[in-house]
Amino acid sequence: MDTKVRIFELTMWPHMRAAYNLARWLVRNDHDAEDIVQESFLKAYKAQESFRGSEAKTWMLSIVRNTAMDFLRRYKSPITMTLDEPGYEPQDDSPDPERVLLEQSRRDRVRQAISHLEPEFREAIVLREIEGLSYKEIAAVLNIPMGTVMSRLSRARNLLLVELGGTKEVQHDLR
Amino acid sequence: MTCAEAGPLLHARLDNELDMAGAASIDLHLSDCRACAAQYTALENLHQEITEADLAYTPGIALERKLAARFLEEEKSPTRFWRWNWLNASVMAAAAVAVVAAIVSIPMLRTGRETETVAAEILDNHLRALQAVHQVDVPSSDQHTVKPWFQGKTAFSPPVPDLTKDDFILIGGRLEVIHQQPAAAIVYRRRQHVIDLYVSPSAGSDSKTQLRDLGGYHLLRWTQNNLNYWAVSDVDPSDLRTFADLIRVTR
Repeated sequence: MDTKVRIFELTMWPHMRAAYNLARWLVRNDHDAEDIVQESFLKAYKAQESFRGSEAKTWMLSIVRNTAMDFLRRYKSPITMTLDEPGYEPQDDSPDPERVLLEQSRRDRVRQAISHLEPEFREAIVLREIEGLSYKEIAAVLNIPMGTVMSRLSRARNLLLVELGGTKEVQHDLR
Repeated sequence: MTCAEAGPLLHARLDNELDMAGAASIDLHLSDCRACAAQYTALENLHQEITEADLAYTPGIALERKLAARFLEEEKSPTRFWRWNWLNASVMAAAAVAVVAAIVSIPMLRTGRETETVAAEILDNHLRALQAVHQVDVPSSDQHTVKPWFQGKTAFSPPVPDLTKDDFILIGGRLEVIHQQPAAAIVYRRRQHVIDLYVSPSAGSDSKTQLRDLGGYHLLRWTQNNLNYWAVSDVDPSDLRTFADLIRVTR
């Protein structure tokens, strides 16, 4: 095997999990996410000019993100928007005696709420809350200014708070 | 600071993205404004809830396997054109140091018993294969392609188990000559580490596994059913033992 191939692997292989996670959240099904990751890794492999020793992870994730967004633009349809994750029935109103089930359903609700965000908000939440990236890293992945990262996160989280109930949009005192 | 100004900055505060002065001014506002304080608590709870929900998706082993296969195809493609000037210099340097260290240590092994000579030969071979474009003669992650390929090329049939579920991914096989004997090299991958398994005929009796460390690489050898086995890699020795154990039970 080519040394260069090995070095590519050493540099990029460790980011496959993060790449898959982002792709999976953006396209919202396993099969397409795998295709996105494969396409992204091959693109990364060939796109030598655009990688200039910056963070390998953010570089890889930006390729995944752009590939996934292209995919969504091409194939986005009302059907794929609603036929998302199976098993999300409306919640039963009666209290569930099993605490585990309650926690499970709450977890599913969080997952569902994020999944229903528009892609530009979803990707910000996934990169920050699930991947734990800094604003600087998110800015690099999404190719937007850090201030925009902050405002997207702000909007995304407020939408999540409303979606998950419990909290309404807060009324602020006017000063 | 007004609430409108504080709004987005609450997120920067939550995400530890503010400097000390910025954080202090937000904290001052929070101590002063119940609405923003309530909002901040809600955001903290949301953050905690998402974290605890552990929402990351994990790729299946099949993805890595498919990707490895795609890269092998790329490698075989005659139109490929490498330009790797973009590579992270530190990774390159680290790899170079590892290889040099391994090579420097090899001459010291060329004395003494025959097994030591063979060990050095095996490691030479492994290192050469790592550097070469020609890593495998039969690139396939399918054991039913790799195993029959050796028929007629070697007088024995090497084991080629499918160890995907144990996270050892078959890359392929190639023919080698080790100590003037034809040998089968079966190539697996463990994450980013390549493991070569060399199999050649032996007149000796069965033996247990013996581990050797040479210049950052590990070699595990044993004899079983009139075949000598050498597993060599820079993978963690415990992973190499697991690998050897899996091969041993295949026979």
